[in-house]
Amino acid sequence: MTDNKTPLIRVENLTKQFSTTTALDNISNNIYNGEVVVVIGPSGSGKSTFLRCLNLLEVPTDGRIYFEGTDITDPHNNINKHRQKMGMVFQQFNLFPHMTILRNLTIGPMKLLKKSKEEAEKKALELLDRVGLADRADSYPNQLSGGQKQRVAIVRALCMEPDVMLFDEPTSALDPEMVGEVLDVMKMLAKNNMTMVVVTHEMGFAREVGSRVIFMEKGKIIEENEPKEFFENPKSERLKNFLNVVL
Amino acid sequence: MLDAIYKILAFFTSDATADRWFEQIYDNFIKDDRWTWLMKGLWVTIRLTFFAFIFGFLLGLIIAIIRVSHDKRVVMPRQSFLQRLGGIILSILNTICKIYLNIIQGTPTIVQIMIIYFVILASSTNKIGVAILGFTINSSAYVAEIIRGGINGVDQGQMEAGRSLGFGYIPTMIFIIIPQALKSALPALCNELVVLLKETSVASMVALQDLLAAAMLIRGRTANAFLPLIAAAIIYFVIVSILRAVSARLERRLNSGDR
Ligand SMILES: Nc1ncnc2c1ncn2[C@@H]1O[C@H](COP(=O)(O)OP(=O)(O)OP(=O)(O)O)[C@@H](O)[C@H]1O
Ligand SMILES: [Mg+2]
Repeated sequence: MTDNKTPLIRVENLTKQFSTTTALDNISNNIYNGEVVVVIGPSGSGKSTFLRCLNLLEVPTDGRIYFEGTDITDPHNNINKHRQKMGMVFQQFNLFPHMTILRNLTIGPMKLLKKSKEEAEKKALELLDRVGLADRADSYPNQLSGGQKQRVAIVRALCMEPDVMLFDEPTSALDPEMVGEVLDVMKMLAKNNMTMVVVTHEMGFAREVGSRVIFMEKGKIIEENEPKEFFENPKSERLKNFLNVVL
Repeated sequence: MLDAIYKILAFFTSDATADRWFEQIYDNFIKDDRWTWLMKGLWVTIRLTFFAFIFGFLLGLIIAIIRVSHDKRVVMPRQSFLQRLGGIILSILNTICKIYLNIIQGTPTIVQIMIIYFVILASSTNKIGVAILGFTINSSAYVAEIIRGGINGVDQGQMEAGRSLGFGYIPTMIFIIIPQALKSALPALCNELVVLLKETSVASMVALQDLLAAAMLIRGRTANAFLPLIAAAIIYFVIVSILRAVSARLERRLNSGDR
């Protein structure tokens, strides 16, 4: 996948400073079309911050992020337009509790992509069906289990027809028996060549689905590699130690 | 206080015959159709409360959004000219709102109404219009704080979810944050409506013919304060009770729907 094409997302010298901590320390990386990039690392290493900088939910202190060739850190570019092409899935789902599932899925396409109600609902129901939740269209989020909520959250992002999907620990808030159903949906996406950046503690997923794994520590990318090499033949001491602890 | 209790007791324990009762009621409510005065006064009170609440709500909502937008604004390291200008305007608006809230909440309602009535709009002949303006201003300050609390109570992730879909700040506010904020603020807003209804009686001090003023007018004719005032009190109480019941039902319905 990592060919000579222009990257979908190009990160250049990204630094994020919170008042006292440097969450990201001069990170550069490219994400290419069709890649599934899995980001792992200890707590507080900056994984979420990195992911959230990609769609500017977190505003970088320094550095540039190019998405589809446009510098989205340039304040003259309309970030709202670019975010429509970058789906995001949160650890806490963040579904809109005052709307039905169907409304959660159609509000974006209708208001932002100017789709008709029929068109938006058709697409939403089709995708809902694919994650096995077609019968929950008229439910409210609080009537769903965690795993169902997260599948809906993924569909909500997909309804915008994004070019890349960003996942921040999508299974960490779930009961263990529900992790599988969410990972299955993500695997399906990967199979359909969706470009994905996934922060997760699910090493099995990284190994099986990832096209590249990134190890972060203290705001830096310490090591990255394709999964087989990454897990079987780690180079840096820190990654070795980390893998010893988590595997 | 004792004096008042004594008067009430005296009224009931005096050798008031059925005839006297009837005579009193006739005098206070039926003669010259005086009960219609109360109804006209009530209508003024209701209109005043209704419009002051609606306008106060809208003004309060705008103030709340300005305050929250300012407090949660993320300052970008790199800003375009428009973003910088927006930031400056927001700061100015926020300062104005804060001063406004402080003044309104730090002075008695009756003083505000009197200033507007006798000083600022002294020449206006539209009494109810002036009163609506006065109570709009008064109520907006309280509504603003209620709604601000509601907005701050909405989970941070909701704004992020809206923004990550591609909604701008204002659309996210309108479609996602405000509906949830208003829902959680509903009990406090209903309470503010009840407070406002009762406070409008202050308008009788600036010669507006509201419910209380109508009662006082009857008292002037009959030299009997008890019956007309008790009648006014009962009417206020009934309206407040209806409002409370409606708001309780509304809350129940909203809560059974989703969350
Ligand atoms: N809003 C914030 N304000 C201040 N500091 C923050 C903020 N967000 C993150 N940080 C700090 O930045 C660093 C990186 O945080 P981040 O959330 O990116 O880590 P993470 O790798 O996602 O950790 P976890 O696995 O626990 O989610 C941490 O030291 C954290 O305390
Ligand atoms: Mg994190």
